[in-house]
Amino acid sequence: MSAVKKNYVVETIRKAQMKELFMKSRRLDGRALDEFREIKIKTGLIEKANGSALVSLGNTQVMAGVKVSTGAPFPDTPNKGMLVVNAEVLPLASAYAEAGPPDENAIELARVVDRGVRESEMVELEKLCIVEGKLVYTIFVDVNILNVDGNLFDATSFAVVSALRTSKIPEYKAEDDKPKLTGEIIPLPVRKTPVSVTLARIDDILIVDPNAEEEAVMDARLTFTTDDDGNICAGQKGEPGTLTPLQVMQASDIAISKGKEIRKIIMEATG
Amino acid sequence: MMPKVVRKFVIPGDVIAVGDYRSGSYIERRDNQYIALRVGLAEIGRDEVKLNPLSGPYIPHVDDQVIGKIIDITAFGWQVDINSPFFGYLPASFVFGKEFSPSTHDLSSKFKIGDLIAAKVEAFDRTRDPQLSIRGPGLGKIPKGEIVKMSPTKIPRLIGRKGYMIKMIATQTGCELKVGQNGIVVLTGTPEGIVKAANAIRMIEQEAHVADLAKKIQSYLSGGAS
Repeated sequence: MSAVKKNYVVETIRKAQMKELFMKSRRLDGRALDEFREIKIKTGLIEKANGSALVSLGNTQVMAGVKVSTGAPFPDTPNKGMLVVNAEVLPLASAYAEAGPPDENAIELARVVDRGVRESEMVELEKLCIVEGKLVYTIFVDVNILNVDGNLFDATSFAVVSALRTSKIPEYKAEDDKPKLTGEIIPLPVRKTPVSVTLARIDDILIVDPNAEEEAVMDARLTFTTDDDGNICAGQKGEPGTLTPLQVMQASDIAISKGKEIRKIIMEATG
Repeated sequence: MMPKVVRKFVIPGDVIAVGDYRSGSYIERRDNQYIALRVGLAEIGRDEVKLNPLSGPYIPHVDDQVIGKIIDITAFGWQVDINSPFFGYLPASFVFGKEFSPSTHDLSSKFKIGDLIAAKVEAFDRTRDPQLSIRGPGLGKIPKGEIVKMSPTKIPRLIGRKGYMIKMIATQTGCELKVGQNGIVVLTGTPEGIVKAANAIRMIEQEAHVADLAKKIQSYLSGGAS
């Protein structure tokens, strides 16, 4: 009988130290409660993709790639291009990751990031229609998690947004409702830069950008995605713990102000 | 007095020695050649060859003291993460005694998930998970302290010859150090002492192969550069 590691157990001693430090508004890794880890963004690393980005958030590392092609639109949006985000955690990324199809956490991750990009209307999907109802551009964003150290939501969101912002796509035109390359390369039409900010509640304290250790201890998790005008365009709450209305308001304020700072970093890295 | 020991760095495939010796772990014998299986420091004695790898996971050995954390409670014992590819198993009868019965004893009253324990490897033969025991001086639950992790292969350097290094760190920083052979060290003492001891441990880990390491650590601890 050999045990399988199910999830990360934080030592009781370490948990107590973590909570003690929160009372002094500090964290085990020396950060302030509302401080992100260092964000590093590199774009255009995958030559064969239409766009790509490698993002590291502390020890968390995420690679996103964009592939653009043509296909039939979804029946309910005949005049819009198709956008699909998919995420997978590689088996070597963490001691707790398993090989095989994405598990429910990876699916939640992809959906939350997808929602942020979609609901902020970052990509001008209506410009990606070639023949209404028949032929549109299809954008597939595939995300691979290379290393797990907490807060995959934000790292993945930054990677997807950076990859989309730097994507160059081949131009198509319709010929008898069939796609034909014009030979031109155009930038993917984007108008906004959504930024996701994830907070964790541990006891009565809200912290941003939880690392793996803090995620293992957190009671509740809340993700907000904001756009350039400071509008909240997507949200997701996770874990069984509850949040008071006041905490949700605080979290949204933090998400908006942190979102502004991070948007600058993404803008700088993606030109 | 002591027989002359030859030390050399080896990489996998290197012939450490030719002849007839007793050989330790990470060494394969082919005809009368002894071949290294890891990157490390080989020691060739009068009748024995040994290889201390520079890195690698912790492989349990009987009688090792390890520090582990409880990750699961089963009906008859605790599952313990000992920082190794193998999970430790602490049977409840080793804690409650022979009269242990799952219906009358509550395992979580003794150790909860997340608790840190010092334990001894009681039995291990690679076919089953290593069995742990907490009978012995200094073993059992660790109530407080700062956890420092280092490479398990470098623990012998931290302890030093006859415990010289570890005693030096303890006396100079006023800290108490509990060392597990599996690469986990728990420090208790003043905050300044803990920082100093943790830095010394980092130094030992990075410079484990350097000669005169004890002197270097001594000069760091006695106040030099910090």
